Amino acid sequence: MIVADPKPFQQIRGFLEDYRKILVLGCGTCVTVCLAGGEAQAELLASGLRISFSKDGKEATVLEDTVQRQCDEEFVLPVLERVKREGIDAVVTLACGVGVNFLSDRIGAIPVFPGVNTTFYGGNVEPGLWSEMCAGCGDCITHLTGGICPIARCSKHLLNGPCGGSEKGMCEVDPQNTECVWQLIYERMKLLGRLHEMQNLIPTKDWRPAMDGGVRRSVREHIFRLQYKSGAGA
Amino acid sequence: MEKESHLWATCSAACPVHTDTREYVRRISMGDYEGALDVLLEVNPFPSVCGRICHHPCESQCRRQVIDAPVGLRLLKRFVVENTREYRVQRRRDTRKQPPKGKKVAVIGSGPSGLTAARDLALLGYQVTVFEKDSVLGGMLAHAIPRYRLPMDALQEDIDDILAVGIEARLNCEVGKDVLFESVKKEYDAVLIAVGLAESHSLPIPGIGSKGVLLGIPFLWDVANGERPFLGDRVMVIGGGNVAVDVARAAKRLGPSTVMMACLESREEMPAWKWEIEEAEEEGISIMNSWGPKAVLERDGKTTGIEFKRCVRVFDENKRFNPQYDEMETTAVEADSVILTIGQKANLDFLKGTPVTVDRGRLICDRDSCTATERGVFTCGEVMTGPGSAIQAIATGHDAARAIHHFLETGETLKLPQVSVETIGELPAQTAARARRFDRVEVNLVEASARIRDFSPIEPGYTEAQALAEARRCLACATGAVLDSGAQCAGCLTCVRVCPFGVATVERTAVMPAQQCQTCGLCAAECPAAGIALARFATNKMKENLEGFLKDCSPGAMKRPLVVSYCCMYEATTREYLREQSQREIEATGILRVMVPCVGRLSAIDLVSPFELGADRVAIIACREHGCMYTGAEELLERRIQMVRRFLDEVGVGGASLQFYRTETSAEASWPRFWQDSKRVLGELSAA
Ligand SMILES: Cc1cc2nc3c(=O)[nH]c(=O)nc-3n(C[C@H](O)[C@H](O)[C@H](O)COP(=O)(O)OP(=O)(O)OC[C@H]3O[C@@H](n4cnc5c(N)ncnc54)[C@H](O)[C@@H]3O)c2cc1C
Ligand code: SF4
Ligand code: SF4
Repeated sequence: MIVADPKPFQQIRGFLEDYRKILVLGCGTCVTVCLAGGEAQAELLASGLRISFSKDGKEATVLEDTVQRQCDEEFVLPVLERVKREGIDAVVTLACGVGVNFLSDRIGAIPVFPGVNTTFYGGNVEPGLWSEMCAGCGDCITHLTGGICPIARCSKHLLNGPCGGSEKGMCEVDPQNTECVWQLIYERMKLLGRLHEMQNLIPTKDWRPAMDGGVRRSVREHIFRLQYKSGAGA
Repeated sequence: MEKESHLWATCSAACPVHTDTREYVRRISMGDYEGALDVLLEVNPFPSVCGRICHHPCESQCRRQVIDAPVGLRLLKRFVVENTREYRVQRRRDTRKQPPKGKKVAVIGSGPSGLTAARDLALLGYQVTVFEKDSVLGGMLAHAIPRYRLPMDALQEDIDDILAVGIEARLNCEVGKDVLFESVKKEYDAVLIAVGLAESHSLPIPGIGSKGVLLGIPFLWDVANGERPFLGDRVMVIGGGNVAVDVARAAKRLGPSTVMMACLESREEMPAWKWEIEEAEEEGISIMNSWGPKAVLERDGKTTGIEFKRCVRVFDENKRFNPQYDEMETTAVEADSVILTIGQKANLDFLKGTPVTVDRGRLICDRDSCTATERGVFTCGEVMTGPGSAIQAIATGHDAARAIHHFLETGETLKLPQVSVETIGELPAQTAARARRFDRVEVNLVEASARIRDFSPIEPGYTEAQALAEARRCLACATGAVLDSGAQCAGCLTCVRVCPFGVATVERTAVMPAQQCQTCGLCAAECPAAGIALARFATNKMKENLEGFLKDCSPGAMKRPLVVSYCCMYEATTREYLREQSQREIEATGILRVMVPCVGRLSAIDLVSPFELGADRVAIIACREHGCMYTGAEELLERRIQMVRRFLDEVGVGGASLQFYRTETSAEASWPRFWQDSKRVLGELSAA
């Protein structure tokens, strides 16, 4: 899932100087799970903003809401309607960057500000700790590496590692917390009885499906632009 | 209140009148003793009596016993009635009755069952007359249960309540003698037979007619009325039930040097409550188990002793009472008097020659409809059920009242619906193992040597501090964490990870099985979707509550700095701080107390929102060191406070405005000090 961290409060506060009616919008999916932007966090931020505004003598209303996902039209429509109906003049979303974009594309002349820093695709390795595991490169090569991603988990994104900075299984970039992924790949290949494959070089990766080929889209033809839904079939 | 589980707590289910135990205990712990009395009186017109002598099936079924020991519910009940006397008198005046129905009901017998029915019917608007052959109301409560267990004034409190609803009591009026059953039947639209089991069984053995042989119930009746029957110096009580124990202990208080009991049963089989037997032994009463009376020994018509034969078996293969003896093994004991307490029966002579059927001394009746064989004649209490307890008798009194009401409204017999309640079941062992143990608050009985001097009450009630300490032990079963149906539960597993008892699980969304939940509220405090609430004692509406407290306070009048103080209510030893404050008190002191059952359940927003509402400082006062009911709450709260302090620093309030204290010795001793401290530190800060 997508992992995010709360933005520094004062940065968010700084976005809002010119606004009078602000909606803090939580998201019920990834950012709820990583404890960065669910309903409880939205309440907390909204409360913090109200306190800060009143301390500074700034008159503004702060509202709060949370939707299941901010990356689906059906879930965000009611929010868009509310924004219009209630004359909200700025939105702070606690969704990942997708939510910020998704809302901005639809909301008209109302600014949408990010309340979190979207950081990575990761897993919850232990309670309270998330770790990056995938880089979304568009051309997965983990079949070559025992299911462990060197692009996301090697500090240098090496395709053929380890480098000289691998020491006692740890990565020189952060020897306290980060394991050398190539050590992990080595152990894993050994466990799988595929150690010999590591003698082959992994060929240069095709980076076009990553950020290089322009904005990426995914289409599922079987439900994409159904004619009867658009009225064209009638 | 959030939706509660449909499951019953085992204590309430076990209570024959289904007292809402959790609720009255909750009200005690919130210092609302009057509210607790309301809960008790809702279903039980005899709370003072039950606080003294109820055999408390609630406690026997209390789920806490798998952790340590059941909650002391009987003494909590007694605490409530003993601390709400004025309120109770005033409450009487506010009792609302339905308009008169223009129909009359006669109740024969003023025991707990008869009086309960009389009260219910009077409240429904019937004109009720109670016929009692004795000079005092209350049945066995007034005449048999010895005063050292049930003082007369405790009974009187309940009876005053009952009579206050407007019931005519005809004392010294025995039906069958002073007035005939038939004429009662003619004069009233319905008649309720609630005559109990007032007579003791005797034994067909030689010597039984000698002077010195007494029967248990008449003996107790006489003693209760201040008479002192001749006992001599050595007394033998025959029987092994609770009544026999009462007889022996009452006899002991009349001065003989030796009081003995003998019964057919082995020690383990004795039907008397274990604690009653132990207390009797402490008082110097000896027990001969597995002996059956063979003959009373006499000289010149006076009792001199009793001969026993060995009882080798009391119950047969089918668990039926069917004693077998070894006639060869006998023993004789010297005694000046012998009191037979081997069972009770009803005196139904007053029904002779009436259409109401009595068969071999038993009233023929249908328990499911509380009816006798004659139309318009009903029954309840022990004459219907056989020997039982006061609270069972009370329950049947309610039933009979419903049946009579139905009959008088419709002319038809009401088959009482069989209510089957689904209980929450036993506390699973693996959950119990993770719960913290807390000793049950016990009271010390008066020393045995002093007890036997007279009929003074032997058991002290709880002090306020004891009652509050005991009330907190209640697990508030089946009122724990529930996921709000509208919540954005993402199945994030936080509840699973923080639950100290391994209760919470995620099945797509969070599930907190009521059977196991310990109502600590930690999952609710940490839920990132703010989607979990506790069914009782919830803190999820904290901001609204705070707004409510502050809404009428005038900002100008408010003493600054304003401290919102969240306090662990379980540390209170009086209700001084548990009571809701008046707006004026908040204004004058600048302290708003918020009592929380464990401050560990306060979420981050609970700690921040007071500042939004104008507080200058939030002072959390937790329990004493290692005093927390809930494993893990302390650590989680500490971490949460650190997080919120950092946030408050960012917001500009300053993390130091969130203060944390631990109760020292008691709430009353330390909290005022903390509040002063909290204000002082703030003053210094703002000056700097
Ligand atoms: C010694 C003893 C100790 C007990 N201890 C406990 C205890 O600790 N805890 C507990 O829960 N229960 C205890 N019980 C049981 C409890 O007292 C009874 O369950 C309860 O009193 C039964 O109530 P009742 O309404 O059926 O009748 P009773 O209480 O028996 O009352 C019947 C009333 O009817 C009156 N009456 C009878 N015939 C007539 C008539 N013809 N005309 C007018 N009036 C009449 C009687 O005088 C009596 O007042 C004890 C009982 C005894 C005997
Ligand atoms: S712990 Fe409380 S609610 Fe649960 S059974 Fe005991 S008294 Fe009843
Ligand atoms: S954390 Fe506490 S309230 Fe939540 S499920 Fe576990 S025991 Fe119940």
